[in-house]
Amino acid sequence: MKIISIFAAAMFALTILAADNVAPQPATNPQPILQELQRKMSSLESVYFELTQERHLKLFTEPLISKGFMLIERPDQIRWETTSPYQSILLGNQKSVAQFERTDGKWEKLKLGFPQMLQRVMEQMSLMNQGKLDALTGDYAISVATNSETILTLVPRDENARAVLSSVEVKMTPDFSATREVVMHEPNGDFTRIVFTREKRNVKFPAGTFDQTKPLDIAAVKAAVDHAP
Amino acid sequence: MPPSKRLWIMRRNLFFALLLLAAGCVTRPPAQNLPRASNPFPPDALLIQRAILTVHGRQFTLNGYLALRKSKGERLIVTENFGVPLADVLVKPDGKIFVMRSSQLFRAEWIRRYVAADVECIFGAAPKKNCPGKMLSPSHFLIQRRGYTLDLQIVQTKPGPQPPELFDETKKDSP
Repeated sequence: MKIISIFAAAMFALTILAADNVAPQPATNPQPILQELQRKMSSLESVYFELTQERHLKLFTEPLISKGFMLIERPDQIRWETTSPYQSILLGNQKSVAQFERTDGKWEKLKLGFPQMLQRVMEQMSLMNQGKLDALTGDYAISVATNSETILTLVPRDENARAVLSSVEVKMTPDFSATREVVMHEPNGDFTRIVFTREKRNVKFPAGTFDQTKPLDIAAVKAAVDHAP
Repeated sequence: MPPSKRLWIMRRNLFFALLLLAAGCVTRPPAQNLPRASNPFPPDALLIQRAILTVHGRQFTLNGYLALRKSKGERLIVTENFGVPLADVLVKPDGKIFVMRSSQLFRAEWIRRYVAADVECIFGAAPKKNCPGKMLSPSHFLIQRRGYTLDLQIVQTKPGPQPPELFDETKKDSP
């Protein structure tokens, strides 16, 4: 359940980034910002992210870096793909989930353990992507801070969840158009930073992008997105 | 055996060897049982790993971060796909095991009995007996125990000295 919460929070944060042109609001009253975000998110059809994930463990001198993609399409399709240092694809919708792992040059579809866990993450993502924030405010205390950048902070209300994830920060420029970073803080000081190197909204993904039997190669997806208007 | 017949057998064997080579049957060396004769890993390095753990036919993907420091031991941190820590174990050169962090999925006893044993099996400085593993390639390993299979690949090697704190069992993290 903790893992679900963390992943859902991260996914929510990523989805928020797809909403733009939200006017800055005083930190004392986050509600108008959240409402505007909700309004923007509800009109979003799809989003394409290229990302770099930095895992900062205080025991190690430098961050552990991975690269990949996240694609979301309404009403409920999601694809999370890691391309380096290993290759893995996670696909989900409200009905099912699938994972593929590339080993020795070949993709292998895994027989997932705990598929219902991943399924639940995908369901939550689907709700969030449709702008249904009510469920989220029940699980997280949300605050907003603004100065040279806008930081949306989500703190889990549940004590057990806080033992794993102390907070999630979404960092944006004041006009919500350029900030591309989500930071997930852990109680012991470790954190994960997801930096978005590219984002494209309301793109039409090619057929097979979310296929759970034979997903389209990410290079083909990227090419289609590159050529989209 | 007359010399002419021996020559004929040698030629025949050579022919079959060439045939196998041409067919690609011997292009990949066979899996080598562990323990191997010598440790092929840098004495001081961080090895980043990706693994598929199969338990009762169900598969779980794991990330591993293994710090090696000569004469100090091995420290392995295991996380799930999105970075949530599942296990953290320190194995000292004398074989002493310190579970630095456990989780609901990886309980302390399980880490002590299996995770630490697998670390020693593949990465230990001294070869261990009864290691149920195979080296499929210099960066690809397979451990098959009763109850689970671990298919492990080293996806990145960062040579260099690792922080001494990693090998200090008193600096235990929480929870």
